[in-house]
Amino acid sequence: MLVFEGVFAGYGGGDILRGVDLVVEEGSLTCVVGPNGAGKSTLMKLVSGLLHPRVGRLEFKGRSIARATPRQIVKQGIVQVMQARNLFPELTVRENVELGAFLVSDGEVVRRRYAEVCEMFPIVGERAKDRAGSLSGGQQRMVEFARALMTDPVLVTLDEPSMGLEPRAAKIIYDSIVSMHRAGRSILLVEQNVRAGLERATHGVVMEAGRVRLEGTGADVLANPQMRALYLGGTIEEGRVASSTGVGAGAAAPPGAP
Amino acid sequence: MLVLQGIVDGILAGGLYALMGSGLTLVFGVMEVINFAQGIIVVLGAYLTYVFSTHIGVDPLVTLLITIPIMFALGYGVYALLLRPIKRDRVIMSLLVMYAVAVVIEGCLDIIFGGTLVQVHAAYSTSSIHVAGLEFSDLYLLAFGLSAVLLAVLYVILYRTKFGRSLRATTQNPTAAKLVGIDVDRVSATTLGIGVGLGAAGGMLFGMTESFNASSSYDLISRLLVIVILGGFGSVWGAMVAAIIMLVVEDVVAVVWSPVWGQTVFYLVLAAVLMFRPQGLFGRLAVRAQ
Repeated sequence: MLVFEGVFAGYGGGDILRGVDLVVEEGSLTCVVGPNGAGKSTLMKLVSGLLHPRVGRLEFKGRSIARATPRQIVKQGIVQVMQARNLFPELTVRENVELGAFLVSDGEVVRRRYAEVCEMFPIVGERAKDRAGSLSGGQQRMVEFARALMTDPVLVTLDEPSMGLEPRAAKIIYDSIVSMHRAGRSILLVEQNVRAGLERATHGVVMEAGRVRLEGTGADVLANPQMRALYLGGTIEEGRVASSTGVGAGAAAPPGAP
Repeated sequence: MLVLQGIVDGILAGGLYALMGSGLTLVFGVMEVINFAQGIIVVLGAYLTYVFSTHIGVDPLVTLLITIPIMFALGYGVYALLLRPIKRDRVIMSLLVMYAVAVVIEGCLDIIFGGTLVQVHAAYSTSSIHVAGLEFSDLYLLAFGLSAVLLAVLYVILYRTKFGRSLRATTQNPTAAKLVGIDVDRVSATTLGIGVGLGAAGGMLFGMTESFNASSSYDLISRLLVIVILGGFGSVWGAMVAAIIMLVVEDVVAVVWSPVWGQTVFYLVLAAVLMFRPQGLFGRLAVRAQ
């Protein structure tokens, strides 16, 4: 459904992504992990249209989105929940969520979807008239999810959705992600929280230094000894992983589960 | 009674400055662009009114039907052609671009009209009414009333329309606005058009209340910037309150002390406010989420 082929991209000071090849299958929950600087967030910016590839093929459902604007990408059914809190803090919760359907002109459709997301995320209805900025971090994430679903997207991309949340809030967020996936949406998830992400993923991807280094089912990737060396502190001191796979051991990040 | 008259005069004139300042603060709120050209845009609006009313005989009020669309198109065009292509150091570069726009417009006005001071005249320019011993100039009542109507229209646009919601969203978080499908460039261009259009409306009233030439823009922009700083950059309500405070302080000081000290006292008030609220009366310390 979403295809990266030989993608190079960066911000003008050199490429962050250096030849990414990746396929996100329809109906999958694909989780991309990797140490800081691996290029995960850059990958997400490409999918949302905030950044364009310098070289390479980027297609969604067989159509190139390499030069598409964020607006065109939303129209094609891809929505993104960004890394940091990204509500409009001075607008009410309801205004924030309804803005998710900015490109939907049929008011009846907007009302119906609003009712649906209120059912899925009760906090939206409970705090509808409150300023979004007054909500806690976890509640704001819920509202962001609700806003993302207002377009009835085909693919939901989530950039480190549990970042900064306490474990209980993070678990609720992960349960919501699984619910969205079970409801038939494809999910592309970028996570620092390796175990939490890969345990729930149908497809796991490890990035390092701007390239995809390892792929498989979420469980297989999590169980892979190389992966464990990189993230779980098992055999990293041996150094053989770094030399045999090219994965930089020094960039390892601690795992954590919600 | 003199103090009361000063307060009345200040409130009425403040309405006019609120109208001129609202365009400046609105543009900053959405784009973080300090529209240094707002002063000359007001003067351009005054000159357009002057030409249509003096040479063609159109009532100054009716000229708004012509000048606001023209000035809206000017603002929209300036964004599309000059501001949109800026990719780096946006705040500084846009300030320089708007300064260049101001210099070009001022030069053109100087060539066309010269330095002679002119004023827009209408039948209601000099009449006034008296209520409870206070004098209400018809012209300033008109200016205040029209400013109130236009600012009410602006309120409706901002808080009751889909465009207004997209504009407020863009003000708070332009990246998130893009990700929900808002065309931030179109919102920005339209906002600059509205800001310049409000400047044109303010120009019509300014041209009727003051004699002016192209150089009048310097005094205007300095006063408008001060209003926006006191009100808080990006806050339309702040601009309105600050404009009224500025004009009331100046007028009251003028009648109880001396017109010479009017601005000085206001600047002391401004300094005192900024010591306790560096973001201005209604500004936010962090204007944007990112």
